[in-house]
Order: sequence, then structure tokens, then C-alpha cells
Amino acid sequence: MNNGIDVYIEPLRMFLRQAGEFLPRLGLAAVVVIAGWILAKMARFTIVRGLRAINFNVLTERAGIDGFLRDGGIESDTTDILGLLAYWLVILAALVIAFNGLGLTYITDVLGRVVLFVPKVMVALLILAFGAYFARFVGNAVCAYFRNIHLQDADLLGRLAQYAILAFVVLIALDQVNVGGDIVRQTFLILLAGVVFALALAFGLGGKDWAAAMLERWWPRRK
Amino acid sequence: MYTGEPIPEEEQEEALAPAPETQPAEPLWYKDAVIYQLHVKAFFDSNNDGVGDFRGLTSKLDYIQDLGVNALWLLPFYPSPLKDDGYDVADYHNVHPQYGTRSDFRQFVREAQRRGLKVITELVVNHTSDQHPWFQAARQAPPGSPKRDYYVWSDSDQKYKGTRIIFTDTETSNWTWDPVAKQYYWHRFFSHQPDLNFDNPHVLEAVLRAMRFWLDIGVDGFRLDAIPYLCEREGTNNENLPETHAVLKQIRRAIDDGYRNKLLLAEANQWPEDVRPYFGEGDECHMAFHFPLMPRMYMAIAQEDRHPLVEIMQQTPEIPDSSQWAIFLRNHDELTLEMVTSRERDYMYKQYAADAQARINLGIRRRLAPLMENDLDRIRLMNSLLLSMPGSPIIYYGDEIGMGDNIYLGDRNGVRTPMQWSPDRNAGFSRADPQRLYLPPIMDAVYGYESVNVEAQARDPSSQLNWMKRMLATRGSSKAFGRGRLEFLRPGNRKVLSFIRETKEEAILCVANLARTAQPVELDLKRFKGRVPVEMLGRTAFPPVGELPYMLTLPAHAFYWFRLAADATPPDWHRDMLVKEEAPVVVLFDGWTSFFRDQVVPWRIGMAEKLRAELETQVLPRYVEAQRWYAAKGEPVKQAVLADHTIWQEGAVGWLLGLFEVQKERYFVPLAMAWEEEEDSVRALAAGAVARIRQQANVGLIGDALADEAFCRHVVKSIGAGKALPMARGTLRFAPTGAFGRLATEDLAGLSIGALKAQSTNSSVQIGEHFFLKCYRRLRAGVHPELEIGRFLTEVARFPQCVPLAGAVEYAAKGDGEPTTLMLLQAYVPNQGDGWMYTLGFLQRYLESAGKQEGLGAYLSLIQTLGARTAQLHRAFAKPSGDPAFEPEPFTAQDMQEWKARVRQEAEQTFKILEKNASDPVKAILGKQHQIIQKIESCPAPKGPALKTRHHGDYHLGQVLIANNDFVIIDFEGEPGRTLAESRRKHSPLRDVAGMVRSFSYARWSASQSDKLQQQPNPLLADWESQARRAFLEAYGVDPDQRGLLVLAEIEKLLYELRYELANRPDWLHVPLRGALGLLGESP
Repeated sequence: MNNGIDVYIEPLRMFLRQAGEFLPRLGLAAVVVIAGWILAKMARFTIVRGLRAINFNVLTERAGIDGFLRDGGIESDTTDILGLLAYWLVILAALVIAFNGLGLTYITDVLGRVVLFVPKVMVALLILAFGAYFARFVGNAVCAYFRNIHLQDADLLGRLAQYAILAFVVLIALDQVNVGGDIVRQTFLILLAGVVFALALAFGLGGKDWAAAMLERWWPRRK
Repeated sequence: MYTGEPIPEEEQEEALAPAPETQPAEPLWYKDAVIYQLHVKAFFDSNNDGVGDFRGLTSKLDYIQDLGVNALWLLPFYPSPLKDDGYDVADYHNVHPQYGTRSDFRQFVREAQRRGLKVITELVVNHTSDQHPWFQAARQAPPGSPKRDYYVWSDSDQKYKGTRIIFTDTETSNWTWDPVAKQYYWHRFFSHQPDLNFDNPHVLEAVLRAMRFWLDIGVDGFRLDAIPYLCEREGTNNENLPETHAVLKQIRRAIDDGYRNKLLLAEANQWPEDVRPYFGEGDECHMAFHFPLMPRMYMAIAQEDRHPLVEIMQQTPEIPDSSQWAIFLRNHDELTLEMVTSRERDYMYKQYAADAQARINLGIRRRLAPLMENDLDRIRLMNSLLLSMPGSPIIYYGDEIGMGDNIYLGDRNGVRTPMQWSPDRNAGFSRADPQRLYLPPIMDAVYGYESVNVEAQARDPSSQLNWMKRMLATRGSSKAFGRGRLEFLRPGNRKVLSFIRETKEEAILCVANLARTAQPVELDLKRFKGRVPVEMLGRTAFPPVGELPYMLTLPAHAFYWFRLAADATPPDWHRDMLVKEEAPVVVLFDGWTSFFRDQVVPWRIGMAEKLRAELETQVLPRYVEAQRWYAAKGEPVKQAVLADHTIWQEGAVGWLLGLFEVQKERYFVPLAMAWEEEEDSVRALAAGAVARIRQQANVGLIGDALADEAFCRHVVKSIGAGKALPMARGTLRFAPTGAFGRLATEDLAGLSIGALKAQSTNSSVQIGEHFFLKCYRRLRAGVHPELEIGRFLTEVARFPQCVPLAGAVEYAAKGDGEPTTLMLLQAYVPNQGDGWMYTLGFLQRYLESAGKQEGLGAYLSLIQTLGARTAQLHRAFAKPSGDPAFEPEPFTAQDMQEWKARVRQEAEQTFKILEKNASDPVKAILGKQHQIIQKIESCPAPKGPALKTRHHGDYHLGQVLIANNDFVIIDFEGEPGRTLAESRRKHSPLRDVAGMVRSFSYARWSASQSDKLQQQPNPLLADWESQARRAFLEAYGVDPDQRGLLVLAEIEKLLYELRYELANRPDWLHVPLRGALGLLGESP
């Protein structure tokens, strides 16, 4: 009887024991997640406040990133996005801890990768912000210089310099987040080769007559 | 003729005591003197014997005083055979009987001194007449005796061979044989003028006795005739000998020991370096003639080159501080050319004495006007040089009216003809038979007494006589002419003479065009940068001296005298084209955002904070302090904190609209930025430059945005569009009125923007012929009366004589309901300036025309119009409108009581302030507090119904514009010292009437103050004020039942003025003080 009952009860007992063992972990996980959520909110608040205090928002605005985002229909600016990323970073970290506590290693594994990816996005954003500001700064400087020496198309040249730097910056940022990898590198090489080829072509076509004249002068054709 | 008759006994009696000193003792009076030189015989004949006399002269003293001179120099009037126009004295102690008696002379001295005129007489001590008892005794006395030794005798005429002969035309030797004495006697001048022997101590004693005799009568000084020739020594040229200086020192000591403030004037026709010793170390003569200067003034305008003048003044040595040069253009002698080189003399002869008849001795016997060919411009130019050169000028009688001469009269008599008083017989000089005159008056067509005389010129405001009076009054207004240092400027144009006369207190710039054609000149006045040249004759302010050479253009033979004033305001139309150098430089890195730490990239935050601090503690405080609208004038500004702001960006340009907190007051200061390449903007902003700026390689400046055309246009545009501009802590609202659409008929971009004008509370800009943008600086919370009243009069009452309101810019702080008015856009009314300037201009003309009634009538009819317009304004205010802010209310007995109580309280408060500042003028009123209170209490309450309405609040002549002989009433701001709530309170409109009436009083005293001659209240102005007052009140139509209200309003205004002037403009305090005294029935 006892055994019989045991047979019935054992799984229940097991279940209860397991549940008894699991529930505290679950509770702990819940606590971790809630704490993480609070921490995340605080992190977001601190980061947004901190960045705004050092006028990071002005930097991204000047760099044109915020304008770019606005044009894309995104209401928040780079600072907010960084805050959001920090928020999710903390949440995800909390989740990793929680799931780890629960022993859900697979989920932990997946989340862990995401957690490691978020800082890269943040760094990429920072690279983008400073890089774009730098690109604009160089562009303006080039433009001002050429304007001062009264060169026509100063604006165009300035723009060219700016976008060239910006292209590099974007590539660095992409590299940072490991997007594309080879494709990015190859794209870059193709672009560069294209530009060089275009220049060579332009130079060659434009200077064809001049080169002919030069050749004529150096090695005159015998008649 | 001197007949040698003994002088009647009774005349020798000293019937009259010495004239009392009426002038305050001023030992250096001669440094500021303008001396009028005249001959008694030529001035006025009182007894109709054909020769002028002392009684005649005394009767003409008013004329001389009126001319503006302060000393008289009389040519010799002593008994004399008159062979050398009285310089041959036969009795040192008497008056020639032709000229009157000693008591006539005493009377003359007394009368002259009563008029503040000093009297200088001749002391001819080098020689006497051969008729003098001393000479008669000497020739009889045995050789070697003291009596004989009164004169210089010799047995041979070969003594003193190195001595020149002065009167080359008449004398061949300095020695003449006297058959009685059987010796030769020495004479430097005519042979009938034997020289006294100053080696004989008795002679000096006798001379000192003669001097004391005249000084005791009251004579203020002597001209020492022919002073270089007193002593003789063998082997010298007998001029300027040390012995002569020793005699002079003795004479000076005798004067200083016995008398105060007396003068010795040396006549030494010598080069400046030889004249210098006659000043000694301040222990010989007080003054000496500057002979070489005179011909060089003539030469300079003949050659049209300043060189002769500059050169001679450079050769002139410094003289002791207590000494002074005497300078002149013409005198009773010939225009002497002894002090020029022979080449220059030839030039002068050719230029000025082509007719050989005009030459005599080494000179030219002509008067100033004929020398200048009666060219008024040249005569005036010469006079202006005389009056502005260093020294005390001497004016020869008759030259003030441009009298002519008669070179055919022999000797120098041609310049000694009777004074031309009128076109009557004998030029009004004498009623005698014309044949009996000592000399005939000038009778030719050009200079004859019928065309040139005092009577005619006195009536002609532009005559030479009246011009001379104005010049002398102008010269008298500054001590720099008499006492200032001389510094020549050397502009490139040599035809222009320019120099500065400078004392510690003031600097006067004199510029004269010596050429007969118009000339430009560029003057280097760097030392006086920032000063405002004020033309002294017209009191017109010229643009201030800046960085560049000061450019002037002068018509032919024109001259200017400028006071380089540090205290005068530049003309209001003047725009500074250059940024003030002292404007601080601010280095920006990012335009306007450089000042805002939250708008710059992270690594610039520190810089932004520093820049902001610089802006608030250094740049703006210095700017605000210098502004007219800064309320606490004189109080240094420590900080101007940006209380609220916005950067108003329109396309590529942006303005910083800032509300700054300064000394607990809020000011509206919109700022604009302009970069170097935009030259027009930079120039426009320069007028109100706040700071110079640099951003990397770009330089520019920050200035008052009101001076920026684009800003003004955008303000008007935004008003039209009803725009709202968010600010950091509030909102800026642009709002049009109904009139905007009516007024904005043209494209804004095409309208020209006028110059920025600064007033005490606001700045304004005219926009095309359409708008007038007015920017309030000191902000007062609440509805601005000007906005409220402007709306009411434009849209509700439809009062035509005010400026229509087109729109406004208001600031509303977040959460605070009450907006503050920052700017008003009004219609522009073409006008001829405000009533105040018009009135002052009128009064100046009125005074100059000595009260001509024609102009006054026209002015008074204008004032009647003003009265009528004022009444219409008050009727418009009294119109029922339903608006509680404007609805008229009855003026009750309780209102009267409250008003009286308030005025009484103000009176007590005012007297308390006055007591603290008990200066001399204030004392006159201090004891009268009780009477004032009584006057307040005795104001009767209105008998009939009276109204309490809104009114102008600060009504005076400056608040009405004249346009087409009518008035437009402006500026409904209320008195600047009262709060907005007070200004908006309804009250008796008679307060406006009182304000205008008080304004007439201000105009009166302002006009008389600008006339320095006018120390006493000018009866013309007093009369004008009462007439203007009456005309205004009659046209306004004050209800007789409400007279009490008017009196009370006037007292209230007076009290306000007393407090205001005491706090802001103590120089003006006398105006309300006189007003208060006048109100109490005491003469103001």
C-alpha cells in the first residue's frame, strides 16, 4: 500500500521536490530580472542624462546623424538610442543571469551572444557619431580652404571629402559590428578601384590630346 | 589848440572821489581783455564845438559796453599843442580843455567802470612837447643844472651816430638846435618833441608823480608810448638799453607798491625777441604789443598761405605766465611795416598800397576795410584771426562798422576821422558847423557816413557791427582765447590756417581759409578722438572726431571756431562708420551658440562657459553703461545676466534676442552679428557696436540688432504674419493691428531702413516712409500704455492727430499671464521735428531779431493749434467706449481730496530731498514749504462736473511732432519715473495741460541758457512764455470752474520736475525752482 502510494506519490514528490528546488531559482531569476529591469531603467536614465550633460546630442545633431534618423521617421535621437541600447544590454544581462540560474544554458548561450553584440553596436554608434562629425568638420575645412583660394566647386570638393571620410567611418562601424565582413571589405575595394579607374579614365580621356602632343614632342614621328 | 592858458581854479578841485571798484578784483583781467582803442576827439562831440569830448564819450559808453569789449584805451587827451595828435604832451596832470575838464574825466572813468570797462590811458614819457613847462625851464636853465638835465643836450649833433631816424619823411636828424639854450637837444621823433633824460632821477620822480595822479583817479593802466627809447648811451643804437629796462622796473615797482590790478602796456615796435625783455620776469610790463604779427596777418591772406603767420608765431618766445601780448589789426598810426623784411615790405606795398598816397613813413595809412577792399568776408576773416590769436585783441574805433579812411588828409589823420554814428550831419558825431570839425568825416560813396554808420548797422542783424558783437560774445565765452596755449596743425593744404587754443579745461579749434576760393582740409585731430566739435557761433555740433583725419570744407575766406567738447552729444543723424577701437574683442568658435554651454560640442563646453561669463560680466556691462536708455546712469554695471533668450534664425542670419537682468531691472537687447565681408552690415552695426568678434580667420562685430536692416525687416514681416517665437523661458509674440494691412502697401525688401536713433527710454528706426519701429529697452511689466492707448486711439476713438499703431512685439514669460511690450510698430508720420526743437530754433531766431513780432505771431498761432489739438485728444479719451480701461469717470470731491493729499505728500518728500542738497539755488525755495502746502490746500475743487479720464501723462513740447503746421501727438508712455500702473490711472486731463505749460518754461530757460550773455531773466523770453502760455490755454479752453485743478496739476508737475532734475540733471534744477517761485508770486 505504502509502496503503491509511494509509486504514485514519488513522482509527485519528485515533482514537488524538483519544483521546490526550481521555484526558489525561478523566484531568484524573477528577482534578478526585476532588479535588472530597474537597473536598466537607471542605466538608460544615467546614460541619456550623462550624454546630454556633455552635449553628446549636440555632437550627433551636428554630425547629421540625428537628422538622418529623423528623415527615416525615427523620433528619438542617437543619445536616446544609446540609452535604449544600454537599457537592453542590462535587461539582457539580467536575463542571461536569470536563465543561467535556471540552467537554461542554450537560451543563455543565445542571449549571451546578443549581450556581447550590443556593446559593439554602441561602440559602432559612437564611432559613427564622432566619425560623422569629423567628416563634416573636414568637409567644412576643405570647403573653406578652397573658397578662400577662390576655387570654383569648393562646395563640391568639401562634400566629396566629407563623404569619403564618412564612407570610411561607415565601413569601420560596420566592421565593428561584424556585419558583412568580406563583403564590406570587397565593396570598399571595388568602390576604391572604381574611383581610381574613373579618375584614370577621366584623366586619360581629358588628357589624350595633351599626351599626344607631349609624345609628339618627345619622339617626333619621322616623315 | 592848446593855448597855454592856466586851468581854471575850480576845475583843479577834486570835486569827485575816485571811482569805486565795481568789478571783482581779478589781477589777470588783461589776459581776457578785448580792448577798444579810441580817440576822445573823434568819438562824440557833446558841446558841438566840432571836437569830441569826455562828456560825449561818456554818453556813448553804453554803445561800447554793448559791443562786448571790456577795456578802453584812450589816445592822449592831455593839454598839448597837438602837433603830433596829442603825443606831444604839454601838461601831464590835466585834460586838454577841448576834451573837457578833469571832473569830466573822473565822471567818465566812474561811468566806464560801472559798466565793467577798464580804462587805459597813454603815458607818453619818452618825450614832451617843446611847449611843456619843463622844456621851457630847461632851455633857460644853465647847462648842467638839474632843470636843464630834464632833457638830453649836446653841443654837437654828431653824438649817438648809430641811432636810426624813425620819422624819415619829416626829420633828417635826431638833434635839433635850440637857439635859446644854444645847444642841440635830442629827439627820437619830431623836432618839437624833445626826449626826456631818464638819467636824471628828478625826471623819473616827476613821471611817477604823474602816474600816481591818474591812478588815483581810477585809471586801470597805461600804455607806455615809445618805451624802447627812454635812455641813451654812446656806441649803441639807443634802443632797448639795459638802463631803459631798469627805469621800467622802477615804474612797475612803484605801481605794484601803491596799487592793485593795474596794467602797463609797452609799445615797443621791435622783433619779438627784443620785446620779450619788456615783460622782464613778470616785473616790467604786463603787456606788450606784438608788432610783427600784424603785417603777417595781412601777408597771409594776400599770399593765401599760412606760412607768414606760422613762422612769426614760432619765433615768438614764451612769456611769463602773468604776461600777455596785445595784438591788433589797425591802430591810430600807419600800418607799420618796420617789422618785415624789405622784400616783404615791397610785397605789402604792392598788395595794399598801390596808390603811393596811401604810404607814409614805413607803412600804410589806411583802415582795415579799405585795406580789404571792403570785402566783408576778408574783413571778417581778419577779425577772426585777431580774436583767436594768442593775446588780447585791440579793436580800433570804427573798424567794428568797417569805417573807411581819407588818405588825402595829411599825416595819419586819414584814419582819425570822426566816428560815424548816423547818416545825419557830420555823421551824427557833432551838431557843429561842418566846417568847424577837427577833421571832415568820411564822405565817399562806399565808406561815407551815409552808407557806413552805427545807426544803420545796429538795425541790420547781419551787419558788420552785429557780427562783431556776436564774435566778441563768442570769444568771451571761453578763456582759452586769452589764456590758452597755441598749437598749429599742419594740414597738407597750406591755404588753410588751423590751430588749437587749449587750456586745461577746454580746447578750441580755429580753422581759417586764407584763400579767395573754397578749400578742403584734413586735420589731424587724433589727440581729440571722440570729442565733438561744436561750432561756436551757431553752437552746432559737428560729427565727432574719429580715427581718420577730420575733413572740413571752407568757403572762400571762411573760418570756423570749434569747441572740441567732451560733453556735447554728436548730431543725432551721425552714424559711426568705424567700430570703436575700445570695443572688446570676443573670440567665438560657433556663432551665437558659442555663448550657450548646452548648444556646443562636448569639448567646447568650457569655452562656452567662459565666453558667456565674458559676455555677462564684461562686454555687455560696458555696453549698457554707455547707453542712453540705461536707467541708473553713472552707476557701474557689474553684471548683465541673460534672463531669457532665443536665437532667432532666418535663413543664414541669426539674431540673439536677449532679455538681460541689469541692476535688478530687465532690459531688452536684441543683438546682431556681422562679418567683415558684409561691409554694409558692419558699417550699420558700427553705430551700436557691442563687441568686435573673431571666429577663426573671420572678423566682425556684434551690435544692436535695431541697426541691422535685415532684423528690422524681419520684425515687420513677423508682425504682419503674427508669428510666435519660443524663447528659453517664454514666448515672443508678434501681433499686427488692423492698421497694419493699410500701412504695409509696399514690398518690405524695397524699403530703406533709417539710422538708429537713441532716446532715453527707447531706440527707434524709421522704415521707408511707412513705419516707425520703436524698441523699448527697460522693460516694465504690464500692458504698456503706449500700446494700449495707441490701439484705443487708432481703432476705437479714431483720433487722427496721433500716430497709428501697426503692431507690437510682446514677451510673455511661461506661466505668467501678463505680457511685456518689447517693440511697437507705428506708422511713420512725415514731420519737421518735434515741438521742442522747433521752439528752441524759433526762440533763438526771436532773440537774434531782438523780439520781432512778425515771427512771434506765426509761432503763437501754431501754439493755438496745439491747444486745440490737445483739447481734441482729451475729448477722444472721454469718449464712452465700453472698455473699462478707458471709460471716463466723474471726478468727485473725494478724488480732489485724495489728489491734494498725494500732492502734499509729494511736496513733503520733495522738500526732504531738497534739504539734503541745499545748494545755493535750492535755498531760495527751502523756506517756502509752508507756502507751497498752503497753495496746494487752497486749490478750489471744480464747481461743475469734471471728468477723470486716461490722458497723455507726460505731455510736453518734445511729445508733439510738427507736420504741415499741425501737430501729431506721440509717446503715450507716461512719465519715465512712474510705474505703468500709475501711468494708466485715470485722472484729470488738465495734468497734460500743466505739463505743456511747464514745457514752455523749460524752453524759455533753455533758450536763455544757451545765450551766455544772459545772466538776468531776459524780458523778451519772459514775455514770450506768458504769451505762449496764454495762447495755449485759451485755445485749449480751460473751464474757469476747473482752474483749481490746473494749479494743482502744475504744482504736482513742478514737484516731479524738482525731484527728477535733482536726481538726473542738477544743471536744470533752476528751471522748476524758478517755476515754483513764480507760482508763489515771487519773481522767478
